[in-house]
Amino acid sequence: MDFDAIPQPAVEHLAQVQGAELLIGVLGANGTSSAVASMVRQALEGFPHPPRAVLVVDKGAAEPRLENEQPLAVLFCRLSDATSSAASPQGFFSAYHTIFGIGRGIGARACTVIASQLQTVTPLWITQLVRPALDMEFDLVTPRYARHKWEGLINRSVLSPLSRALYGKRIQNPMGPDLGLSARMMQPLIEDQAKARGASRGNPLASVLATAVRCNFQICEAQVGARLQPPLDWMNLSSLLAQILGPVFLDVEQNAAVWQRVRGSHAVPGFGPAETAPEEGGPVDAGRLIESFHLGAKNLQDVWSLVLPPTVLLEIRKLSRLPLEQFRMLDEVWVSIVYDFALAHRVRTINRDHLLRSFTPLYLGWIASYAQEMGSAGPFEVEARLERLAQAYEAGKPYLVSRWRWPDRFNP
Amino acid sequence: MWEQVQQALSRSTARTLSQVASLLPGIVALLLALLISIVLAWLIAGILRRSLSRIQFDDRVFRWGFLSLPEWSPGKSPTLLAARVVAWTVVFIGFVIGVSAFDSTLTSALVLRVFEYLPNVLAAILVLVVGSVVARFLARSVLIDAVNMNLQYARLLSAGVRWMVMVLTVAMALEHLTIGGGIIRLAFGILFGGIVLALALAVGLGSKDLVSRSIQREANRAAEQSEEPVRHL
Repeated sequence: MDFDAIPQPAVEHLAQVQGAELLIGVLGANGTSSAVASMVRQALEGFPHPPRAVLVVDKGAAEPRLENEQPLAVLFCRLSDATSSAASPQGFFSAYHTIFGIGRGIGARACTVIASQLQTVTPLWITQLVRPALDMEFDLVTPRYARHKWEGLINRSVLSPLSRALYGKRIQNPMGPDLGLSARMMQPLIEDQAKARGASRGNPLASVLATAVRCNFQICEAQVGARLQPPLDWMNLSSLLAQILGPVFLDVEQNAAVWQRVRGSHAVPGFGPAETAPEEGGPVDAGRLIESFHLGAKNLQDVWSLVLPPTVLLEIRKLSRLPLEQFRMLDEVWVSIVYDFALAHRVRTINRDHLLRSFTPLYLGWIASYAQEMGSAGPFEVEARLERLAQAYEAGKPYLVSRWRWPDRFNP
Repeated sequence: MWEQVQQALSRSTARTLSQVASLLPGIVALLLALLISIVLAWLIAGILRRSLSRIQFDDRVFRWGFLSLPEWSPGKSPTLLAARVVAWTVVFIGFVIGVSAFDSTLTSALVLRVFEYLPNVLAAILVLVVGSVVARFLARSVLIDAVNMNLQYARLLSAGVRWMVMVLTVAMALEHLTIGGGIIRLAFGILFGGIVLALALAVGLGSKDLVSRSIQREANRAAEQSEEPVRHL
């Protein structure tokens, strides 16, 4: 067995578990571990033939403990130093690698990781994420959350349309964080991590879709419910963006050979009924967002001019002069900004941390524009709007490919 | 008597001429060394200029963040600046070689002093280059973070950081060059202390209200934003 990433007492416990088919890893479950075990048992009861499963619950600094029952063995052990992704993303990311390592070690046929806040996770989530990987020969199961129009804005503005344009898969949440994986899928993820050892260990979620596409694995989406997210400290937004976009741009760089071959995009199979989106809450104050964008446009021109082409800089200047009610960022401009930042990250035009942090006012500008447009829009209008954005990403891909191959052809 | 005058004149003429004749090889050697070094400098500068142009050195310098370097360069071209620096260095080395050919104690001492001082010059240049890079890096970090924190005076903060580091760097470089001695230390202490005191007074007295309003506004803003429905992940 290969358990090099987990503590020795936990390894000894796992050696007692025989014939496990399924591994379920739950991150950040401090204080709710017994409730988690009961939820997973309920989820397993939903299977016609409940698989022999191991539930690994992140139990912080406590001593590892095993409750070896049928059909579920529950191991409580320390998976990461972090209690949430916001506290220490690096520690949180390493927990994924630990779970993949355990999955391979016990010879599980499928693995599910639950990383969302547990207040909203139901047995259905686990069933939906497990079943395609365990019974339907899918290798990667990504979640499709029920969300209102102001949720998941990094996903909507960058991650989802970018991954669609690059890898040709229309997926709502290419970076999970809740995932279902087959044993086949875990293998290359572990190997990639082993190669990265010694260098900086990245976010495994950033490369999961690229790995699946590179290996020609089967991908699907599972409808899960609404996801609870704590309000973000806006002062730390630039750190959050750097932590997310850094690994994403690194993944774009490492998988250039894969995405340059991909043309167009198509939907992936989806499972489960769509759930109703939660209430939207109060309105979004676009004025404050635009103010932040103006401040960036006024002060960061020197930095942006090293990254963005003159046409985009001109558009940004025009945008910063528009009155509040006319503030709209064109999709083509936004797409060019994202692609040019990815290129600058690759060629290290400026320090990468500076680059990623200087993205924040532009992102706030996009949110402001989106908020202005979608203020009173219904779910269908929002989806149509996001579809247009995704198409703009696809339309801009030849520009990215061309600049990627000949970065010196254009110097800002 | 005329004979004695004639003899004295002829002896002094012979002595002067022989002294001039003894200097002549040195002068010829100096001229030759200068000539060769000028030709070499011209060749090396030409090759360097072409090589740097081929790798688009000017654009690279700009992309590396040395935005003000072109302004200081002849013809606003860092390539030309590098070529000229190298050319003049070669000419200077040729001159020093030529001067040492005189083989006199004075010139040897001069050459020795020059070569003894050279490490100080190189260290000062290194300090200036590193200081300039660090100043630019820190200034950019402060600028980006201040903008992301919605501070209206972001540019002022950034410029302040840059000048503080540059003042420190120049003081260190002059220390290496042993120019000014105690005066530089004193002047640096007064200047640096003055800047810090001025900032403290500006924040504490002059801009007290502005700063407190700014901090209060940010605190209110964070509280209001946390109530907004926007979720990024």
